[in-house]
Amino acid sequence: MIKADKVSVKYLMTYDRVKSIKEYLVQLVKGKIQYEEFWALKNISFEVKRGEVLGIIGHNGAGKSTLLKVISGILKPTSGSVKVNGVVVPMLELGSGFDFDLTGRENIFLNGSILGYSEKFLKEKYDEIVEFSELGQFIDVPLRNYSSGMVMRLAFSIATMVQPDILIVDEILAVGDADFKEKSKKRMLELMGGGTTVLFVSHSLEQIREMCDKVIWLDHGQMKMIGDTQEVCDAYAGGME
Amino acid sequence: MDIDKLKKGCFYALICYMVLAVTFYLVAGEQLRFKYSQTDTITPAQPVGEIVQGVEVRQPFVAQADELLSLSLRISTYGRDNSCHLQLAIVNDMDEILACTEISGQYVIDNTINNAIFAEPVQLKQGENYSLVISSPDGAPGNALTVWFGNTVTTARLEIAKQIAPERQLLLNGQPLDGELHCQMNLGTYLWYGDFYWFFAGGLGILLAAYCLYLLRAVKNGRISIVLRLIAAFQRYDYLLRQLIARDFKTKYKRSILGVFWSFLNPLLTMSVQYVVFSTLFKSDIPNFALYLLIGIVCFNFFSEAVGMALTSIVGNAALITKVYVPKYIYPVSRVLSSTVNLLLSLIPLFAVMLFTGAAVRPALLLLPFGLFCLLVFSLGVGMFLATTMVFFRDTQFLWGVVSMLWMYITPIFYPESIIPDSIMPLYKCNPLYHIVRFIRIIMMDGVSPEPKAYCLCLLVSFIPLLLGAFIFKKQQDKFVLNL
Repeated sequence: MIKADKVSVKYLMTYDRVKSIKEYLVQLVKGKIQYEEFWALKNISFEVKRGEVLGIIGHNGAGKSTLLKVISGILKPTSGSVKVNGVVVPMLELGSGFDFDLTGRENIFLNGSILGYSEKFLKEKYDEIVEFSELGQFIDVPLRNYSSGMVMRLAFSIATMVQPDILIVDEILAVGDADFKEKSKKRMLELMGGGTTVLFVSHSLEQIREMCDKVIWLDHGQMKMIGDTQEVCDAYAGGME
Repeated sequence: MDIDKLKKGCFYALICYMVLAVTFYLVAGEQLRFKYSQTDTITPAQPVGEIVQGVEVRQPFVAQADELLSLSLRISTYGRDNSCHLQLAIVNDMDEILACTEISGQYVIDNTINNAIFAEPVQLKQGENYSLVISSPDGAPGNALTVWFGNTVTTARLEIAKQIAPERQLLLNGQPLDGELHCQMNLGTYLWYGDFYWFFAGGLGILLAAYCLYLLRAVKNGRISIVLRLIAAFQRYDYLLRQLIARDFKTKYKRSILGVFWSFLNPLLTMSVQYVVFSTLFKSDIPNFALYLLIGIVCFNFFSEAVGMALTSIVGNAALITKVYVPKYIYPVSRVLSSTVNLLLSLIPLFAVMLFTGAAVRPALLLLPFGLFCLLVFSLGVGMFLATTMVFFRDTQFLWGVVSMLWMYITPIFYPESIIPDSIMPLYKCNPLYHIVRFIRIIMMDGVSPEPKAYCLCLLVSFIPLLLGAFIFKKQQDKFVLNL
């Protein structure tokens, strides 16, 4: 389903990001354009089979999000290759495609189409999305009049109304009030347990142990360990102490 | 890909092609085989004197076209009613009369331009010498007309002396006068492509059919070609594209009271202001200046809006691009297409002005989509290029503000192109918008199809920028994420 072969990602970092032609020329003349190479990922190889749940653990800045971006096609690896068969639905950040001047209804179709859902699918699932979000009559109100909790609820409802081949989850999202949090957590677990291939990033070892078939431990862009969930988690937990 | 669907698609494509080819011939066929032109006229300076019986005014000329349809010349009556006639004859250099027409004195108003139409177009041979001979069978002193001659031409505000070769001078009873006859010839030239149109159209049709067969075979064998990939991408992202266009369009006027009416009002108001300014301050001699101006404004507004929106399409959607994978070209394309919706709306006031000012509505209007399509393609090309540069240099948006203003002045929007000196004309014509705006004006103002060269030029100047823009965009698009 997913096959990563020696994936490496290199960022070039300048100390001052040059953002204008003038600055660029000035820096160029001074010979001051210095880049610092930074390998966010180095030689990562793994394979995920259909229906497997792969957990990714590591400290902040270990390259977890970069890896997810490479797999979802947002970022091209500097070297190496990723082969993905099937539709990837990323659940990286909720509501990034919302337009706050449009109504909830219009946003469902806009955001849904950005996530790659078809028109037919969205029309079928529309009622389900509205019902799950508990927005009721507010669905025809422009988003700028929503409370932030309502926006998150709508975003969550759209994002989880999927039947993707590959689901990418960056932390289990639990939004809204206590009731909705409970409901959304249940929904996520349902989705992940439903037989789809899942890439799951979390800082909660508990969740990882519970959900995953296989775990990758990333550390400063390097793959420190890959293998059986309990083994890797134990090693990771041991290293933290 | 579904083979039945593809078969259906190929079938429709062929049918569409045939319909288009035939429609095009019906609309533009005449301009394909025949080109009308007019000779330049000299400024009338003085009359030749009474043309009485026995006087012969002879103007030698070289044929520049295949047919002479009519003559327009300025005639004076000395302020009286004359009952005599003027005979206009075209003779060849053997002095054989090829054609003859008459102007009756009783219908001539003093000092006006009169049209003399030949019963049959006079067949000429290009490059050969002919003469126009004016005489009167019944003119007498006190009952005669006269024609004018001169030796200068008017350009803008200046009178420029014209070098007239001795053998081209006007002859009065065989005596050369210092100048040329004030006379405009309406000419026609046969074009060779008209005869080959059906061969050409048929050949292209066969090529298209052959390509369809090739595609079908390719699908059967499981090969994927570029066109198929394009169709698949289009099918896949068609819904997203429509959603993005709807979003842009809905939010544009969302909180204004007049809403979508601004799409009509904007070009109309701009036109009114510029019309008042330019028709009173700078006397312009463009016929139907209101329409001339509005066509220019609508085209340029679309261009600057589409490019301006495409420019920020990548940077503005940074939140999406860094989070969801969508082909990046979707963003500039959707912005340009949503400006197109606006353009289509602003055509409504354009047609209204067209009807209101009495411009002829002819079938040539059917060619308008071609001009608009070229405009769209060109804007997309420039938009994609600038969207790419914008990612790396945020200065682009400010530069574009200046460049678009400059661009407005180097495009003939509110001034006639005749004020551009001949010396910089080749440079001036490098502006793609010039060709596209000219194309649309010929269709809407003259009601005829432009010459075939104009089609080729429009295609060239719109597709080359698109290819360049798309190429640069494609080369750089993987680096966008790192720079947002």
